[in-house]
Amino acid sequence: MPDPRSEAPSTGGASPYPRVVAGRTRADGGRRGLAGLWRVTVADGSMTPAVDPGDWLLLDPTVRRWPRRGSIVVFREPASGTLAIKRVAARPGDWVRFADGWLQMGDDEAWLRGDASDDELAAAGHGAAVDSRRYGPVTVDALVARAWFRYGPSLRRIGRLPGP
Amino acid sequence: MSLVARLLAPKAVAHAHCDLPCGIYDPEQARIEAESCYKIIEKMGGNSDPAFTTRAIHIKEERADLVKHHLDVLWHDYFKPEHLETVPNLHELFWNATKQVSKVKASTDIADAQKLLDLINEVDAAWKATGGEGKTRVAGRPS
Repeated sequence: MPDPRSEAPSTGGASPYPRVVAGRTRADGGRRGLAGLWRVTVADGSMTPAVDPGDWLLLDPTVRRWPRRGSIVVFREPASGTLAIKRVAARPGDWVRFADGWLQMGDDEAWLRGDASDDELAAAGHGAAVDSRRYGPVTVDALVARAWFRYGPSLRRIGRLPGP
Repeated sequence: MSLVARLLAPKAVAHAHCDLPCGIYDPEQARIEAESCYKIIEKMGGNSDPAFTTRAIHIKEERADLVKHHLDVLWHDYFKPEHLETVPNLHELFWNATKQVSKVKASTDIADAQKLLDLINEVDAAWKATGGEGKTRVAGRPS
C-alpha cells in the first residue's frame, strides 16, 4: 500500500509549503518571462521627477533577481498585491538605516523607496510615500519587472530612465 | 485619444503610491467616543440585568476601539516632528492615552474613564497649541 504522504504535491524547494504571492495571476500580467509585463503607465507622484504620473514606460520582465541599487522596479506591493513602482535602495545583504537602528536585507529581499521627499510630496498636496518604510523589505517573488525607458506620451520626455 | 496613442498606451498601471490624507483632524472625535465609554460604565453601575450588561460591555469595547483609532490617526498623521518643540511630552502623552483606552476596555471603574477624558483634554490642548484648530478644520470648531 502506497504511503499517502507521497501523494502530497512536491514543491521542489526547501519549504514544504508552496509559495503564494498575493494577487498574482496570469491574467493580470504579473508573471515574469516573455509572457510578462512589457509596458506600464504610472499613477501617483512618489517617483517624481524621474517618473511622473501618466508616463508610459518600457519594462524588462525577464529579471529574476533584484537589479542594481538605483534601478527602478515594478513589483507587487506586500499585502495589497497592487502593481507598484519604486527604486531599489538596498539589495540582498545590504544594511539599511531604519527606526534608530540597522536592518540587513535577507537573501531575497530588497528595500524599495520612492524618490520624492516628504516635503516635495507635501508641497504637491500628497502625504508620505508608501514604500519599504511602511511595509518593510520586499521579497524577490514580488518583483515583476525593471523599468528602463520612457516612450511617451510626451515626445519631449522620451528616453532612458535615470538609473544606476 | 488618437488611434496611434491608443495602441501605444500601456494597459497596466503601476502605482507610485503616496498617502492622500484629507487633512481634517480634531481630538473631539476621540472625546465623543470616550464620553460614550464613560456613560456606559455609569449606566452599568445602576443596572444588574445580565442582558443589559452583556450589551453594555460589547458597546464599550467597540467605542474604546474607536477612541484608540482616532488617537492613532492624530498621533501618526496630524502631529509632525516639529510639534515636539511645542509639546515635548507628545509621545508620552499619546502612549499614556492609548494605554488608558486599553484599561477602559477592561474596566468597569468610572475613574478609569474619567482619566481617559483628562488625557484626551491634554491631547486637545496639544492640538490647539500647534494650531490644529485653524489648520485642520474647514471653518474652525463649531461654537
